Amino acid sequence: MSGVTLDGVVKKYGAVQVVHDIDLTVAPQEFVVLVGPSGCGKSTTLRMIAGLEEISGGTVSIDGRVVNRVAPKDRDVAMVFQNYALYPHLTVADNIAFGLKIRKESKEAIASSVDEAASILGLNAYLERRPADLSGGQRQRVAMGRAIVRRPKVFLFDEPLSNLDAKLRTQMRAEIKRLHKRLGATSIYVTHDQVEAMTLADRIVVMNDGRIEQVGTPMDLFLNPASTFVASFLGSPPMNMVDATIETAADGAYAVFGGQRLKLDALPGLQGAAGREVTLGLRPEYVTLDASHPNRVNVDVELIETLGSEALIHATLNDKPFVIKAETKGAMSHLSGVNGFAIEPGMIKVFDADTGRALSGQTRVSA
Amino acid sequence: MSDITTEGKAGRPPVEELVAQAVEAERYSEPSRLQKVGDHLKREWQLYLLLAPMVIWLVLFLYKPMYGLQIAFKDYSIFRGVAGSPWIGFEHFERLFESEQFLRAIKNTVLISFWSLVIGFPIPIMLALMFNEVTNALYKRTTQTIAYLPHFISSVIIAGIVITSFSPSMGIVNAIINFFGGESIYFLTKPEWFRPIFVGTGIWQEAGFSSIVYLAAIAGVSPTLYESAVVDGASRWQMMWKITLPSILPTIIIMLIIRIGNILEVGFEMVILLYQPATYETADIINTFIYRQGLQAGQYDFAAAAGLFNAVVAFVLVITANAISRRFSRTSLW
Repeated sequence: MSGVTLDGVVKKYGAVQVVHDIDLTVAPQEFVVLVGPSGCGKSTTLRMIAGLEEISGGTVSIDGRVVNRVAPKDRDVAMVFQNYALYPHLTVADNIAFGLKIRKESKEAIASSVDEAASILGLNAYLERRPADLSGGQRQRVAMGRAIVRRPKVFLFDEPLSNLDAKLRTQMRAEIKRLHKRLGATSIYVTHDQVEAMTLADRIVVMNDGRIEQVGTPMDLFLNPASTFVASFLGSPPMNMVDATIETAADGAYAVFGGQRLKLDALPGLQGAAGREVTLGLRPEYVTLDASHPNRVNVDVELIETLGSEALIHATLNDKPFVIKAETKGAMSHLSGVNGFAIEPGMIKVFDADTGRALSGQTRVSA
Repeated sequence: MSDITTEGKAGRPPVEELVAQAVEAERYSEPSRLQKVGDHLKREWQLYLLLAPMVIWLVLFLYKPMYGLQIAFKDYSIFRGVAGSPWIGFEHFERLFESEQFLRAIKNTVLISFWSLVIGFPIPIMLALMFNEVTNALYKRTTQTIAYLPHFISSVIIAGIVITSFSPSMGIVNAIINFFGGESIYFLTKPEWFRPIFVGTGIWQEAGFSSIVYLAAIAGVSPTLYESAVVDGASRWQMMWKITLPSILPTIIIMLIIRIGNILEVGFEMVILLYQPATYETADIINTFIYRQGLQAGQYDFAAAAGLFNAVVAFVLVITANAISRRFSRTSLW
């Protein structure tokens, strides 16, 4: 199995630079997800790896070989596209076999590869149908079948689930995960959906404005976002952001906002930082309703949304929206009088108000 | 009056209830067909307004003249008029099929059409595929303009160019033949040369312009299909055969059906401009025959019979081609 390395990769369209100095190493058999908002350069980066876009600067290596000037067909990659890219005039079997026929493989080899892929993807019953006669999920499976039969070094996925409805997306997400476990192939997956990124990835690469914001495991990024961008991009609902000023006292640092204050962990970045403007990041999941907790502030509750086992309490803090995720425990009555929340100092992320970069250290989550 | 009470008699519902039921039934009754059409027109009147000029044109110039078709079955006289001329049944048609000239015209029409179809139909498709492969924008624009240009030149000028080019004394074709030591050929007076010259001229004039339809169809093919094929390792040639051509096949079939429907509609002006009695043997087609009989010899009824025959055959051809296409390729005009 082969890895992929991007070293200072740049993409320019004329004078406009859309991808800036991307450095990334994808280990063999790893499942890496590039995630970010529309126009952040994630698809362009993927297309440069596939060879569908020229690389304006830096190098892309697959399996240790620089492929900047290698044609897509010789890079030994297979790609799954958002709109499936199935040939409408060919049957499912012919669509899956297309790449093998182009490579002039023997009829027997093609037939057995198609059969194997169809079995893995549950497409045996549809082999003689045309794409127009299939559902969205089935079409995407055919597209994956076409990639599988090639047995490439690297699988590239360009938002493959974006055209599917929510239910089918969840189902296909699990199928892709299973497929990766079964085939163990190096995979690079592009999406703008943070749930897909969190559930599928071994490592997530968060991109913004053509640059990498942060690379790490899903849990690492969730707990320790390097910037306010990553913090607000990952997680559903996203991390609450509160503007505050640092105040120091004998027992440590505090964040002060709107006449209230929260105690912070003793962080290296906060030493001698009295008066510094910061942005606090508080995950809705790590906020508690414990009325006796010493680190507690008040909020104005506006409405409560019930999700079944959980409820989302929509409130305002310091004139900005603030969301608390609370367990319902089968009843809503205990949530009716909520007027504040508490949080452990170690669970509060502190970001520089100007740069948006994290000042706080590693978040510890007790098991 | 005693029946109409708000209380109602035993076993009968009160009047208010009956009225309410009737009102309810009225409210939920299915609208009539006329109401539906009315509602539809009210909703979509802008579309019908856009369609109106074409419908008016069709009625005025294609349907109204059909009234005159009856003279094909009459002994028509311009003094008695269409309605006043006596019916004579199929007499004109009998005369037509006894006329060697008409049978020759049918043969010539079919042959010219056949060769125009066999040679001329694939060329615009090939041209479109070639234009599509050109990557240099300036070169592409230039070649396309050159290919489209002859379409916009009047038939008279085209015929002039052809006559001049093939002239035995000053034509470039004969100049080349002479250059290689050959003797000048009187191309336009020799029946065996008429069909190649006519078919070739037609291709030169229309191939470029006809390729626009196929270029538009090619533009509609999703670029991801090509990207996917590139990753799969397909060459440009393979992409052309395995993606582009199959993708534009429905357009090709539609164009073929239209073409087959027009098989008896050989470019009449061009024949009139290029033929002469010496080449009637291969050049006289149904339309020139109708023109000579109808307008030059004044036999309107006889010419109408020939024209009607032409139209009926074309109608049958188009229906047959459409049915065959629908059966075998899932693509059809209607």
